[in-house]
Amino acid sequence: MNANALQFRRATDAKAFDLRHRAIVGKNTATYHAAVARGLARFADWETARRRAAAIKWEVMNHLDRYLEEFERNVIARGGHVHWAETGAEASELVVSLARQHGVRKVVKAKSMVTEEIHLNPALESAGVTVLETDLGEYICQLRGEPPYHIVTPVMHLNREQIARTFNEKFGTPLDATAEQLAGIAREKLRREFLSADMGISGANFAVANPGMIGLCTNEGNGRLTTALPRLHVAIVGIEKLVPRLEDLALFWPLLATRGTGQFLTVYNTLIGGSENFHVILLDNGRTKLLADVEQRDALHCIRCGACLNACPVYRTVGGHSYGTTYQGPLGSMITPHLRGWEDWSHLPYASSLCGKCADVCPAHIPIHHHLLHNRRNSVQRHCDAPLQRFAFRIWRWAMQSPGCYALGGKLARLGMWLGIAKPLARLWTERRDLPDPPRQAFRDWWRSNERA
Amino acid sequence: MSARDNILSRVRDAVRVKAPRPAEPSASAIWPLSGEAEARFREEFTALRGEIVESLPEFLDGFAKIATDGSELAGAGNASVREADLGVTACECLVAQTGSIIVACRSAEERALSSLPPVHLVVARRSQIVLDLDTALGLLRERYGNDFPGTISVISGPSRTADIEKVLVLGAHGPKRLALHLING
Repeated sequence: MNANALQFRRATDAKAFDLRHRAIVGKNTATYHAAVARGLARFADWETARRRAAAIKWEVMNHLDRYLEEFERNVIARGGHVHWAETGAEASELVVSLARQHGVRKVVKAKSMVTEEIHLNPALESAGVTVLETDLGEYICQLRGEPPYHIVTPVMHLNREQIARTFNEKFGTPLDATAEQLAGIAREKLRREFLSADMGISGANFAVANPGMIGLCTNEGNGRLTTALPRLHVAIVGIEKLVPRLEDLALFWPLLATRGTGQFLTVYNTLIGGSENFHVILLDNGRTKLLADVEQRDALHCIRCGACLNACPVYRTVGGHSYGTTYQGPLGSMITPHLRGWEDWSHLPYASSLCGKCADVCPAHIPIHHHLLHNRRNSVQRHCDAPLQRFAFRIWRWAMQSPGCYALGGKLARLGMWLGIAKPLARLWTERRDLPDPPRQAFRDWWRSNERA
Repeated sequence: MSARDNILSRVRDAVRVKAPRPAEPSASAIWPLSGEAEARFREEFTALRGEIVESLPEFLDGFAKIATDGSELAGAGNASVREADLGVTACECLVAQTGSIIVACRSAEERALSSLPPVHLVVARRSQIVLDLDTALGLLRERYGNDFPGTISVISGPSRTADIEKVLVLGAHGPKRLALHLING
């Protein structure tokens, strides 16, 4: 087992039985699900909406070269700058060198998963630049030195008491501070930073090819302040974020918000482009590998709403941090092995019951659980599965293909149970699960004796 | 070869084979829209905690430092945006379907007007109300063609966060209050 798989197993072992964690996440997701149900009621035809989104994303992904070039051309024509980065390290270097060129000492950031993906904060910090997260959830993560727990709600795993304690340790604020007071403290602290920062960094929820703008969806207004106040704005954009036209957002904005939080629209849907101070970095970082996989190309249709995380019984049980990835839950298990390598991440697609709830809720109509199954197959084909597992499945296949062997297996298992040696042997299974006593008679024996009747 | 060339050539190679095209979605309407636009707008806007200002002078009396975009509708202010306790702007249009106000800005100063002061007041004409988001974005396209302003914001209510235990808090980083004064015309 590789180090990541081992880490995942250890973390999930601990988290799955952490009842406080379960209670907090259960409460947050229940509130979320109630809001989403209200949000969905605004759609007369949700199914058609997401099928339309899938059709638009199909068009973009299968002609991505064209849309990337159109986006670049339009951003440049409107005065902006476009850079390209093949890897996360390249993207970070680009940001650091822009910071150096422009004498940047302080950076404010809007919420962005892609900057987590490329490890931008440590790169900037080691270049002597101060970096401040401004989304409240991300700010709390930064204060605690933790990665985001969830791609949309970064501190879904914390309750008010825990957050108040973090603020108390950092700023000496009261332990009984309410959510409103805590948000007020962050507003006041960060207001000064917005006004004195030299560079604002954001990701993008969408990159609009025509007219060459990026779209940011936020509720707090930190995205607008981050991009408006500092003299320089750098947006890091995965190449899969493209949509053809501004008009497409009349569909994508509500889809993202409805599944992201249950709102019909987030408070601020901002389009930015067309200024001298605007830099876009288009990032590959493994995305073209997924694009080259025709069977799984539509995994790139994902708009990062986070709905599949909230829907997933595994995510809710093992928690976002256990995955050890930037993108958690079903979405992460779908794309991470492609983006970051099968050797290290092929255990992720197994962290699913394949119940299909993730695909059910997906606003881009991605059959996520099928992709997880494909990923399992891919990992076996790439010999990334455990040797013992491979051996066990070989025996299983051999036994399943021969009626005699299958019957013999059943008999042996029944005998083992009867003698009391099967359960101790199956301890790995029975530690946390019931193993019911087998019926006295096998079905095929019963069939034989009742066939005539 | 630059990073740009490498990425684009990988993309070209990848998409040479197309993925199976999904079935054509039906043409049915995906959200119901009925009713009179202004009534719908008022309902949505107030549900998002937006405030409708009936008497403008009375509302303005509550603020000492006012910054405006200098437009005909917003009038003149008496303070810079960084010190103002009220930012006043005009807008592109109002969206009945979502209760949103669409604001376009050409400068950083203009953008700050609707995001920095604790209260943002928009002054708009009734005729600026459009029925839905599709119409609103179509209107922007028609108005700007190939010369879009640097920032376009669809604003739906005052700034908010629910990051802590999903409890709704208004006024995270942007304005704590969003107000709208409608005039005839």
